[in-house]
Amino acid sequence: MMPKSRIKRFGITDRLFHLFLMLTFIIQAATGFSRLFITTGWGKKLSYVFGGYETALIIHKWAGALMIVGFLVHTIYLLTRIKWGNFIKSIFGPDSLVPNLYDVKHLWQRTLWIFGLGAPPRLNRWTYWEKFDYWAVYWGLPLLAITGLMLMYPLIICRMLPGWSLNIAMLLHKAEALLAISYIFIVHFFIGHLRPSSFPMNEGMFSGSVPLEEAMEEKPAWIERLKKEGKLEALETTPPATWYRVIYYVFGYAVLIFGIYLIINGIIYSRHITLH
Amino acid sequence: MTQQKRKSWAPILMGVLLLGGILFYDVPATAQEEVTSAIRRYKEYEVSTGYYEEYEARPRRQRPLVGVPGVSSGLFPYSPTAASVRSRTRLADSHRAIKFYWGRRCEDCHVAETRDIHTVRANLTCRQCHGGEPIASINHYFSPLNPIRRHAYVCAKCHEGASASYASYVIHEPSAGSASAKTGFPLLYYTYWFMLVLLVGTLAFFIPHSFLVGLRELFRKKRKAEK
Repeated sequence: MMPKSRIKRFGITDRLFHLFLMLTFIIQAATGFSRLFITTGWGKKLSYVFGGYETALIIHKWAGALMIVGFLVHTIYLLTRIKWGNFIKSIFGPDSLVPNLYDVKHLWQRTLWIFGLGAPPRLNRWTYWEKFDYWAVYWGLPLLAITGLMLMYPLIICRMLPGWSLNIAMLLHKAEALLAISYIFIVHFFIGHLRPSSFPMNEGMFSGSVPLEEAMEEKPAWIERLKKEGKLEALETTPPATWYRVIYYVFGYAVLIFGIYLIINGIIYSRHITLH
Repeated sequence: MTQQKRKSWAPILMGVLLLGGILFYDVPATAQEEVTSAIRRYKEYEVSTGYYEEYEARPRRQRPLVGVPGVSSGLFPYSPTAASVRSRTRLADSHRAIKFYWGRRCEDCHVAETRDIHTVRANLTCRQCHGGEPIASINHYFSPLNPIRRHAYVCAKCHEGASASYASYVIHEPSAGSASAKTGFPLLYYTYWFMLVLLVGTLAFFIPHSFLVGLRELFRKKRKAEK
């Protein structure tokens, strides 16, 4: 029997949602970039992977439709997570992802800590940067979905809106996608992989658990609360199997490398594109 | 047990149906369809052709241009004579009296217009939409590019079912962040600057923040190792 040195952080549903988002996002980024950069040699090569300019769009539409469905299913799932009997605590409590004043305080404390001017913040279950990651998807995805559907069905949309709204939709779709791609492939990847406390990979989202020692160091308020409520032991778990770790390391790094490949080439060829 | 099973299948089924709906929802191309409904009759016919019975009608959602932008404004903005003098947007030959016109290429003067999606991506040439010589101004009464018939005469050549509203898509967009966009297409201008500030602001905050946290953690790790 292996010692229970880890603490459960993500359930199977959360991890499946993340995996789904990873796969659809990387497909959207690659097919989108292949079309955005089609006037460059690199963009043309990238589009060949997906069968060319036209086929890349078909894949982009399919993956986008899947994303919309995933988003709606996730929203329904989210509604089932709210404890309606204890609504206020469920929304603003420490187990909720809704931002609150503590996040502002933690951000300030952490900034001071960076420069050696104070102690690190006593973070709870969800930190402010994790909340930002979560909500960034939550408003970015509907924006991309609505503008994407507008561009997918322009004739129908033009029965309700003037045609020039498609100019705006195109601009919003492109700018939001560039924002999402650069945020995920630079900031999110750095936090999840390159940050010394995560290096070489923060496994929480794949194994579902994190080392208890690490959690105590980074999120002391969470562990303390669990101890006080007597819930810690129930959440303690064993490390993941080696074969499973190998799988998610290979998969995670494949996506990571591909993402970095896209962002580096995107930066190199950025002079060939405009935001609108 | 069976009921529970059924319940757990319900969201998946809903998801599949929704996916099918998004991907395969399509309606017949309305602009070219035959008139089938008494309620929609007037609207569809008017929108698709710009004509209702023998009268030329205004498209419902997009009024034809009645002002000459940047030239005249006020209560009675348009006078055909004044427009033909001051502006080239209403001439039968829009390049009238341009010196050495015969020796020039479109892109010699219209540089930006040759660099938008229709020309760069779809490889359209100018004449495929603007027609042969003499090229009428887009707002000339008989021009195929006049907003009252542009959708049917030009757009619908490729975009089957294009309506007058659809044809108000701005093909030759002004550069979104420019002063000309601010006056000509303000919504595009403000959307552009909003998104640019959002993009640059988010990255300008989170990249240094995450990097500095990483640096700090590195020092902490080193100190721990030394201890």
